[in-house]
Amino acid sequence: MNGYEREHHWPWTKLPVLLAAVALVGAACSSGASSTPSATATAAATEAPSATLCTPVDIEWYVGLGTGENEEQIPAEEAVVEAFNDSQDCINLLLTVVDNTEAADTLATRIAANDPPDIIGPIGIRGLQSFGDQLLDLGPYIESSGVDLSEIDQSLIDVYKLDGKQIGIPMAVYSSFIYYNKALFDEAGLAYPPHEVGEQYDGQDWTWATVRDLAMKLTVDTDGNDATSADFDPDNVDVYGLDAQFTENDARAWSTIFGGSGSVVAADGTTAQWPDNWRTGLQFFYDGIWKDHFIPNQTAVQALAAGNTFQSGRIAMDVVHQWYTCCVYPGEGETAAVTDWDIAVLPVGPDGKITSKLHADTIGVLDSTANPDQAFEALSFLTKSPELIQTWGAMPAIESQRAAFFDGLNERFAPLEIDWNVSTLMLAYPDNPSHEAYMPNFQEADSANKDLGSKLWTTPGLDLDSELDAQVELLQGIFDSAS
Amino acid sequence: MSTTQAAAVSAVTTPPRRGGWRALRERESFTGLVFVSPFILGFIVFSAIPMVASLVLSLTDFDPREPDEVRFIGLANYSQMFNDPVLHQALGVTVRFALLVVPLTLAFALGVAMLVNSKLLAGRTVFRTLFYMPMQIPIVASTIVWIGVLHSTNGWLNYALEAVGIPGPNWLQSTFWVGPALGLMGLWGIGNMMLIFLAGLQSVPTELYDAAKVDGAGPLASFRHVTLPMISPVLFYNLIIALIAAFQYFTQAYVISNGRGDPDRATLFFNLDLYREAFGFFHMGYASAMAWLLFVVVLGLTVVLFRTAGSWVFAGGER
Repeated sequence: MNGYEREHHWPWTKLPVLLAAVALVGAACSSGASSTPSATATAAATEAPSATLCTPVDIEWYVGLGTGENEEQIPAEEAVVEAFNDSQDCINLLLTVVDNTEAADTLATRIAANDPPDIIGPIGIRGLQSFGDQLLDLGPYIESSGVDLSEIDQSLIDVYKLDGKQIGIPMAVYSSFIYYNKALFDEAGLAYPPHEVGEQYDGQDWTWATVRDLAMKLTVDTDGNDATSADFDPDNVDVYGLDAQFTENDARAWSTIFGGSGSVVAADGTTAQWPDNWRTGLQFFYDGIWKDHFIPNQTAVQALAAGNTFQSGRIAMDVVHQWYTCCVYPGEGETAAVTDWDIAVLPVGPDGKITSKLHADTIGVLDSTANPDQAFEALSFLTKSPELIQTWGAMPAIESQRAAFFDGLNERFAPLEIDWNVSTLMLAYPDNPSHEAYMPNFQEADSANKDLGSKLWTTPGLDLDSELDAQVELLQGIFDSAS
Repeated sequence: MSTTQAAAVSAVTTPPRRGGWRALRERESFTGLVFVSPFILGFIVFSAIPMVASLVLSLTDFDPREPDEVRFIGLANYSQMFNDPVLHQALGVTVRFALLVVPLTLAFALGVAMLVNSKLLAGRTVFRTLFYMPMQIPIVASTIVWIGVLHSTNGWLNYALEAVGIPGPNWLQSTFWVGPALGLMGLWGIGNMMLIFLAGLQSVPTELYDAAKVDGAGPLASFRHVTLPMISPVLFYNLIIALIAAFQYFTQAYVISNGRGDPDRATLFFNLDLYREAFGFFHMGYASAMAWLLFVVVLGLTVVLFRTAGSWVFAGGER
């Protein structure tokens, strides 16, 4: 039988091929990335009364933009969600937890796909700026619901005002102050820094100039020479007198710490600037790294406990926030390099004021929510939950909850007796406007400020005024492209 | 044989034509299309349509956080690229990196291929495997390891340099040394290129080397006049691939700088800047325009290389 006579089994032999092809295409199409993030959804069943007075609506709470995404925190969050659902019949609160590294991208994608959650948080001030325009104005809901904000300081509430919109209610606040290593002070034979506002240090007003002198005495090279000595070797520093860690290279953060409150946006909301007190503050920081050598540069920071410099035991004073109590000690099984420490008040800045750069967490409502009233009701419940505050290691914005918070810290750090009164004192001096405040084209402007910070941290010999003038020009271009 | 018998024989030996050659070709074409259809459909759905979509997006100010407020802005994104200093810097970083790394990796891969092709090397198979093994390690994992190796104070490389009296540079925090540091990482991953060169080297007829030897050619002359011309097609292929990879460089830069392009934008490659624009700043329209710019640049370079190939690439023994 030749080829012309062969029997054609066309429909039957080709059919499996066709089916396989269809299956392949179908598998390829269905394996595309889902726009829905990996979710841990909890839908606690509510006990519906025999006669329901409302139709239950689903409210999705999206966690991951700030803290709250760690495995240890999720059970507590689920418990709070369940408690809320059990307390009423009209709202079914659902929890979605997303990894922090993907949370912002995933949220933006869901908004673009018209599948946004209702509530987002906890989220800090900076994170809120990324989605500030997408957040609901809670002002009318606060008024109509009669939610009591009297226990929260007005200055903290004002932190969450954006273009007249109240986009959040402060839930957790973190003032900043000086963590100091007592052992290093004892070794240098120096008195500890002040714990009270207005208190002097060694007969001098507690200012950044005084801090500089103190830090230079505490900065020691590997031969034991301090930074005031002619024999001091800046290339072999063993102990640094001062640091301001975990600022993400943000030039605005350093400017605020050492210069006081300020803003890169002028009062008109569109003009870029770098205020004089910020220039002074940043110059203090830059000289501290490259001229006086009492602040570590980026290379040195990487070598000091991989960036957690105070934990290395080689930083005498460190300006960080309240939340840093999470990380003073290393993980289990590791030996702590810092065993005796306390906290001190911040000095007066070049603007004549004390400025304690503030971080604050809140939960917001997206304005795309189909059920704003229910979303606000859930938000009100969550922001008052002491269990969530504790899970997130947060200092409560509500004053009456703080005693329990500090008791918990005392228990954790016993037998040390940390003067937590400093933390409360510093709450009275928040930076206003916030160093994380809104800028036009926020993400790009924020990134540009971090690029500047990175440059200052790694490059000696810069003319800071010229760099800041160039930065203002760059920022103006970024602000202009937002319109 | 009678006419009737001849007709009967003819009927038996001549098969009936069921649709003819054309129908057969059509049936075979259709079968081929069925086998190729998954790729075609996949290409259309996952490549062609997204490409068209990105071209459309590049003419808008699309922000995924405000999808309903997208506006058509024409060529504004493209004209913005002329005034974007960060993009120019990113392009400069990418071009400088390509100029450094492409010739280096080609030369190194060819050298290693010649080494493992040499009859004088004992255990050639083992060495081939060893040189190829780094390709099996995920890029992110290997980059994290390299961060440790290149650490200025605790890294092995600086320990080794200091042991011979050379002060090790600040590889990853120096705007000057971070490029060579990335180049070093690139050299570690030449496994694929090495294999392709090896295949090319092994396809060079030995008679040519014999003839060259008879003519008095030494090793260098043989390499220049026999090896290089004969492997020019694989060299050309590797050059194209290396160039495209250099312009699409992203992962290592992202990992070592945490997505920021530090220090001082020295690792802000074009693709990393594109990623920041799209997913950091939510400027999807502008990022799409950047993607098309990259496409045009790489396509242009590839066309130039193909045009010049005629003068130096020997295909099948012919120019």
